[in-house]
Amino acid sequence: MSKYLDLSIKEIHELLVEKKITPLNLVEEALERIEAAKDLNAFITVNDKVREEASTLGEVDPDNLFFGIPIAIKDNIVTKDLKTTCASHILDNFIPIYDATVVEKIKNAKMLIIGKANMDEFAMGSTSETSYFGAPLNPHDKKRVSGGSSGGSASAVAGGLVPLALGTDTGGSIRQPASYTGLVGMKPTYGRISRYGLVAFASSLDQIGPMTRTVYENAALLNILVGEDEKDLTSVKKEKEDFTRFIGDDIAGMKIALPKYFVSEIVDKEISDRIKEIISLLREKGALVDIIDMKYLDTAVNLYQIIAMAEASSNLARFDGVRYGFRADNIDSVDSMYAKTRGEGFGDEVKRRIMIGSYILSGENAKTYYDKALKVRDDITKEFARIFKDYDLIIGPTTTRVAPMLGMTKDDPHKAFMDDVLVIPVNMAGLPGLNVPVGINSEGLPIGLHIIGKSFAEATIYRLASFIEEVER
Amino acid sequence: MDKLTREEVLHVAHLARISLTEEEIEKFRGELKILMDDIDKIKEIKDFDEEMMYTPVDGNARLREDEIGDMLSAKDATINAPKKNGSFIEVPVMINE
Amino acid sequence: MSEFTPTIGIEVHVEVKSKSKLFSNSANSYGMATNTSVNVIDLGYPGTLPTINKEIIRQGIRTAHILNCDITRRMHFDRKNYFYPDNPKNYQITQNRTPIGRNGYVEIEVDGTKKKIEIEELHIEEDTCKSAHRGSVSLLDFNRAGVPLIEIVTKPCIKNGKEAMAYLTKLKELLFYANISDCKMEEGSMRCEPNISISKDDSFGTKVEVKNVSSIHSVGLAIDYEIKRQEEMLNNGETIKEETRRFDDKQGKTILMRVKETGNDYRYFIEPDIPYLELTDDFINESLNALPLLPDELRKKYTNLGLSSLQIEKLINNRSLNTYFLGLLDYKTNYVTAVNLLLSDIASYLNKHNRLILETKLSYEKLVKVIESLESKELSNKNVKDLIDSLMETDKSIEELKKEFNIENITDDSFIKEVVTKVIENNTDSVNDYKNGHDRALKYLMGQVMKETKGAVNPKKANDILIEALNK
Repeated sequence: MSKYLDLSIKEIHELLVEKKITPLNLVEEALERIEAAKDLNAFITVNDKVREEASTLGEVDPDNLFFGIPIAIKDNIVTKDLKTTCASHILDNFIPIYDATVVEKIKNAKMLIIGKANMDEFAMGSTSETSYFGAPLNPHDKKRVSGGSSGGSASAVAGGLVPLALGTDTGGSIRQPASYTGLVGMKPTYGRISRYGLVAFASSLDQIGPMTRTVYENAALLNILVGEDEKDLTSVKKEKEDFTRFIGDDIAGMKIALPKYFVSEIVDKEISDRIKEIISLLREKGALVDIIDMKYLDTAVNLYQIIAMAEASSNLARFDGVRYGFRADNIDSVDSMYAKTRGEGFGDEVKRRIMIGSYILSGENAKTYYDKALKVRDDITKEFARIFKDYDLIIGPTTTRVAPMLGMTKDDPHKAFMDDVLVIPVNMAGLPGLNVPVGINSEGLPIGLHIIGKSFAEATIYRLASFIEEVER
Repeated sequence: MDKLTREEVLHVAHLARISLTEEEIEKFRGELKILMDDIDKIKEIKDFDEEMMYTPVDGNARLREDEIGDMLSAKDATINAPKKNGSFIEVPVMINE
Repeated sequence: MSEFTPTIGIEVHVEVKSKSKLFSNSANSYGMATNTSVNVIDLGYPGTLPTINKEIIRQGIRTAHILNCDITRRMHFDRKNYFYPDNPKNYQITQNRTPIGRNGYVEIEVDGTKKKIEIEELHIEEDTCKSAHRGSVSLLDFNRAGVPLIEIVTKPCIKNGKEAMAYLTKLKELLFYANISDCKMEEGSMRCEPNISISKDDSFGTKVEVKNVSSIHSVGLAIDYEIKRQEEMLNNGETIKEETRRFDDKQGKTILMRVKETGNDYRYFIEPDIPYLELTDDFINESLNALPLLPDELRKKYTNLGLSSLQIEKLINNRSLNTYFLGLLDYKTNYVTAVNLLLSDIASYLNKHNRLILETKLSYEKLVKVIESLESKELSNKNVKDLIDSLMETDKSIEELKKEFNIENITDDSFIKEVVTKVIENNTDSVNDYKNGHDRALKYLMGQVMKETKGAVNPKKANDILIEALNK
């Protein structure tokens, strides 16, 4: 079996330019690896037209770094004519009739979509075990989860099936699986990447982002994904920039904050110790690292539950068996069509969240829960802004523990949220956040460092991340 | 452990238009109570401002020029519908219009 | 005199005119083939997001302005959540907390008394899709899904059917004139839903809502019927339930549709897919600049031009003629004559051919020339009637047309003299009558001249020549 996919994107690109390999070679290798690693359950759908697409590309000269590179797309991002299920029974035969804006960008860069990655149903969960198609496994230990909700994307890249994947992050769903599987995962600033074509879970929190093996490849892929989109009013117009531009810069003089909460007793000792080692290293290399007090961080999960479930209850109302998707049999009225279709079509986690979400918005509850959550959300955002007056970056561990065993959080509606306690505050404020691997624990499982930046300061995050990556190497 | 009543579960299930089996009702009585206790924690937050943030986007919403764009054919518009009737999408009769 | 006081409020929905829909760029048009005026956004496809049509925000600003409302400067949209097959996302994007207009009024006159009907608020929202019911199934056509609506809500300050009709007539006239909406109730582009309660004291009674009312006149009938029905119920010791009824035109009564569930639970929350929208002074002013003159302003203006009130009302009722006439005011001419022409020969031509005046070849220059020719008697009214098709359909000048239609003859003295001589010879009795001082005989003889020439002579000239010949 060839090993081209283990090379860096730059190296693969050179081989393609020199015509030593073709996009079809890469695709064949990826398909072989997917077939060989079927037990990882990383993909829900493999693109059966990808060989054909690769052959067509073989006639063309490579015009950019990602030309001809296979990529996995999380299955909540719509792809025209390629099944998009959101890992749900209710969409298990849904063929979209349009491409998400990011998919258009991927296609314009002539990347090859190898398939649709497994995930938690409608991205609701933290282990990908809520998938209608079963959980993807962690390539580092197949008895463990690869995290969620972008667990399939994480398994695919960490398992070497593809070098790149797109994930989505509503409350840590890119960074946490990246941490559990030892990948670089970026949740960009809210508004950086168009959400058009991302099946909404919580509209004010969702953001698409790249999951890759290296910091450089992450930043380079982000270059392709970003941009204001006239189809998404929440996408933001920004000057074009190269996110790789600070990669390799030293970190002397950088001002970094570590909130006490991020190394409090909620975090496994082995992980906090590792973070403390990183801090010493950063200080040694001339960065200023202060341990600081930061308010509201401990409220974030609470806010997340309220805002995400409320928005989800409305966003998922459209899955009703009328215009697309599954419709239950034996229905005799509009009411039974709704209730049966949704009762049979959704899994337990989704049902719980949209029932509670409907409750949150119902009557006077909207004021008690939803309005109040938006008020505290404003405060937590201002608190971040206050810290960022004095610091360039905020760091901490990405997760409180390493990847858990399969089945550990299943059917525990509360625990599912606690896996993301350290990453959720970032979504509240719409900030960019990234996981970079910082070694392994005593069981050989990856530990991740979480780097949070100011709005639209992804390049600064990559600067620190690339430095740490270099040291870890 | 505290649980919701059967009626409370059925009420939120109706709001979300979800049919539940007897086993599910029983299961959710406990599980939904845990989540309701979770969200109730917001009541304990005392230190907050009145300003609400519903989106992280600061800027003003862009406005689109009033021009007609591409549209679907009736075939494509109904292509994914579970039940079609000519160019229409069919549902059980809507009463109480 | 009844001891009960009725309290009536009215919600009006109008479909707003624009090329494209409110939150998507598919066509906002009526009568297209089933499910062809749609895109993935209108169908509520997974992953789609709304955009905002600039023109609809402008229309909202204009509506707020003409209804004397305060314009909200910083607004957001809200989701109204309810499951129904005609509601593609199972939520409707509307404005709940920050309607674009608030606290306005419409002035009406009923039996010579003026009254302000207060507007609580007006907001922008999207329409649902259309459904047709066939036995055990309903069929959905999404062409209407996402069509822009403006909803206008009055305060409960209306007292009877007459006031309601006066308000709706005035509202319709305003919205139609401002080019906000077609306001065709029969096509559903204007929908009126009155709610009625009656009470013996200052407290409000139980509200009954009436839907599916087909005309403004029916709204008045429905309200008066409902007031009577509720009075009778209360007098009989019955209680009124909060319910929705419809009005049956044939029977002239309201019929129960459904009793309201306790408090509709629409689970409103702010639409997170649309950031705040802030309206600048410039944007508001630009929007209002495009607003045409409204009926009351026109009435004042036209009265000053010397038009009769009958002419004014007729002109205002025909918006395209009115628009044309406003353009004519840049030219110096006899406006009364112009309006007479517009409302007679020109209007009947347009009706007959089902055309708009702007689609014809009647330039302002040509019309001014026609009016001049009429005043100088070079053309008679009869001539204009004969020439109307050519005036409207060709670029030919009046001189050319006169030649073509043999109207040259009219200024040809010898031709007229010939005819006059003939008429005098054939009507000796009348000639004698004239000579004996009977003025009416002159009119008769003149009529004979016109008859002989089929009206194609300059009447003034013919008159002069006739008198000259008679006095010989």
